[in-house]
Amino acid sequence: MRNRLAPLVDALKSWEAVLVLILLAVIAVNSRIAPGYFSVGNQVNLFVLSIEKIIVALVMTLIIINAEIDLSVASVMGLAACLMAYLYANGVPMPAALLIALLTGLLAGLWNGFWVSYVRLPSLVVTLAGLIGFRGLALVFVEDRSIGNFPEWLNRLGQRPLVGPFPLALLVFFVGAILTVIILHFSGFGRLVYVIGNSAEVARYSGVQVRRIKMTLFTVSGVVAALAGLLYAARLGAVRGSTAQGFELDIITMVLLGGVSIFGGSGTLWGVLLSILIILNLRNGMGLAGFSAHVQTGVIGFLLILSVLIPNLAAAVRERLRLRRLARGERLATTPETPV
Amino acid sequence: MSAPILELRGITKSFPGVQALEDVDFRLYPGEVHALIGENGAGKSTLIKIMTGVYQPDRGEIRLEGRPVHIHNSQEAQALGIAAIYQEPMVFPDLNVAENIFISHQDRGRWVRWGKMYADAEAILGQLDVRLDVRQPARGLTLAAQQAVEIAKAISLKVRVLIMDEPTASLSAHEVEQLFQIVRRLRCQGVAILFIGHRLEEVMRIADRITVLRDGRLISSAPREQVTVEGVIRDMVGRTIEEFFAKKTVARGDLLLSVRGLSKAGVFHDIHFDLYCGEVLGFAGLIGARRTDVALALFGVEPADAGQIWFAGREVVIRSPAEAQRLGIAYATEDRRKLGLITPMSVAANITLPTLPRYLSRLGLLRRREEAAVAEDFRRRLSIRTPSVRTEVGKLSGGNQQKVVLSKWLNAQPRLLILDEPTRGIDVRTKAEVHHMIGELAAQGLGIILISSDLPEVLAMSDRILVMREGRQMGIFSRAEATQESIMTAAMGQNRVAEAAAMAEGGRS
Repeated sequence: MRNRLAPLVDALKSWEAVLVLILLAVIAVNSRIAPGYFSVGNQVNLFVLSIEKIIVALVMTLIIINAEIDLSVASVMGLAACLMAYLYANGVPMPAALLIALLTGLLAGLWNGFWVSYVRLPSLVVTLAGLIGFRGLALVFVEDRSIGNFPEWLNRLGQRPLVGPFPLALLVFFVGAILTVIILHFSGFGRLVYVIGNSAEVARYSGVQVRRIKMTLFTVSGVVAALAGLLYAARLGAVRGSTAQGFELDIITMVLLGGVSIFGGSGTLWGVLLSILIILNLRNGMGLAGFSAHVQTGVIGFLLILSVLIPNLAAAVRERLRLRRLARGERLATTPETPV
Repeated sequence: MSAPILELRGITKSFPGVQALEDVDFRLYPGEVHALIGENGAGKSTLIKIMTGVYQPDRGEIRLEGRPVHIHNSQEAQALGIAAIYQEPMVFPDLNVAENIFISHQDRGRWVRWGKMYADAEAILGQLDVRLDVRQPARGLTLAAQQAVEIAKAISLKVRVLIMDEPTASLSAHEVEQLFQIVRRLRCQGVAILFIGHRLEEVMRIADRITVLRDGRLISSAPREQVTVEGVIRDMVGRTIEEFFAKKTVARGDLLLSVRGLSKAGVFHDIHFDLYCGEVLGFAGLIGARRTDVALALFGVEPADAGQIWFAGREVVIRSPAEAQRLGIAYATEDRRKLGLITPMSVAANITLPTLPRYLSRLGLLRRREEAAVAEDFRRRLSIRTPSVRTEVGKLSGGNQQKVVLSKWLNAQPRLLILDEPTRGIDVRTKAEVHHMIGELAAQGLGIILISSDLPEVLAMSDRILVMREGRQMGIFSRAEATQESIMTAAMGQNRVAEAAAMAEGGRS
């Protein structure tokens, strides 16, 4: 039993523990300064406002742990949304338009994955090209228009609660989060994601099919980004060429604040879920208290810097304490029993 | 020999939970090569670190030329004339040889006097009888040449005590000889040399005095003439090893692997051999002989571009390690840390990595209990010294890490096991265990390719030995034909003298 608890004890000393403290602090402050913070409506709303980003952040976590990055997600969101709207406006039935948009996300993911896994280009460059290229493609379809007038059922799906107080997108996130936790922390696939993130070479020398794993991750990322883009379009009821622009930075921020190393190989989904809760609650509380979105962004940037600083500071303090204890312990040990 | 230049008296040092050194007395005389040996964890590194000021002893004193000194850091050690060089030389690749030699001199005035610096560098290298272009950048120097540069750097700092920590670990036999020439010259100049090594025959060749540490205690210290290899090993492990090498001749089984005309442009050419079940085929050669490249071709990491491979009776094309593994080929790399292990992950996770699908449920979930059970089994069988199979592999000693690499591949139950330098940098006891294990595996019918730069090891462990030189196969020797001399002659080519001269130039690798 002692052994079973040991990982739990370790976990409490970790970055996740710091995140829990920050989250509690944010909630405590919110409950004082933000009127109506605890209401069910507000709690759901707090998720809904960023729901598309946090869905994509789940896959992004796996990709960054795998020591890659996908900067193109927001552009894929935009592309899927714009293509869907364009097709629908040109007479394609909505279900077909949605399906084609999802397939486009799949293709975008395969495209990224191909260059990263088979040609071995850095994902930073490949997906930066995707960020520009897919956004360009989205603009080709909608130009500078705003396309709306989606069928009523789509708007309802995007805006109304589906089960209890939860709209479809929130349910997608819940299911996605559970699935991602299982895949990352309890499956063989997740083990390989960490292995490759630590050393793709060791993985290859161990007979692991590195390319297949990377290909899968980028493909899933494309599909999920497209799905998030469609949910976003359904929630807003209209799209423009700039839909979801710049979301990739918010998404990556959530992952990094969650303690995932930008160099890959470490971090947990638990940390990312906590960091998502922190960011959402912080924005919500500050919004309710009347701070502007710019101030909110500034605070989150500050948090991100702290997330890099705190573990380093903590390590330094621990080292200092260890040395002090050592010095004291040695004096105790050497004085009484010095042999002749 | 007169008074000792460096004397340690009653040095004791402990770390939390470990008594690293206990009451060690140690003297180092000028003009002496003093070998310090012991298993991993015997306290050699701690002793060096105390001499170079990295650690402070808990008790005891250090005397330099009879005067007690306190060395607080490596700069102070250097100022006192104590310098250390390590297995991996620390040279700056973009600076040239002369700049590297004088890197830590800050008293050369405001402007660099290039002419004088080059002349001085040449003079120092001349003293060591090393021929190197001092204007050549350090990038691309052989490891041996880089070490020569490090030694020259120490000399430029007026070194009186030179500590060499496993300097030969990554050198080929010939380069070791060059290094020993340098060491002998330093000895003549009155430098006291502390030589730490794992290869006993080297130690026996170079040392004037041999000191053995075990579990932080000084076990024995005697002049070279008075010690025997058996005695030293006994002192190191604290028990007698009747049979240092374990390979027995096993009846040759079926043909397992046939390689014909295997070539890779610019790397190796026309490799051809057969390997039978139950056989150990040694791969001997100097560094740069491309033995590892042949192994990488067989394992599919860097496939060959011509030639045929027959495995278990049919012709195969191996394009990736995954394919090789499916056939039943395993390759335990020489570079444990970079290519063999995920150091931040657990012992168990590393052992099951190549065979992960076996530890998954139908839904693809990890069956951690079975994974741990298998790892636990290997921990017992190979006596891997680790607190638990959940411990990070990076926290284990080199020898135990090597055992994890071996476990990982044994668990894959291969039919062909390629071992690349399986005993490099590990202690005598583990080495004997590994040798024993190789013998057992062969007896079970595995075909084994053993790549090793440790000539006595290859000779003792192999049924036949394939010798390579610069990507070409120089011959296959049966046990009866193989001697240190015959293998070395083949490994160095016919034109032995010219080759030796070329290497003494410290040319590019």
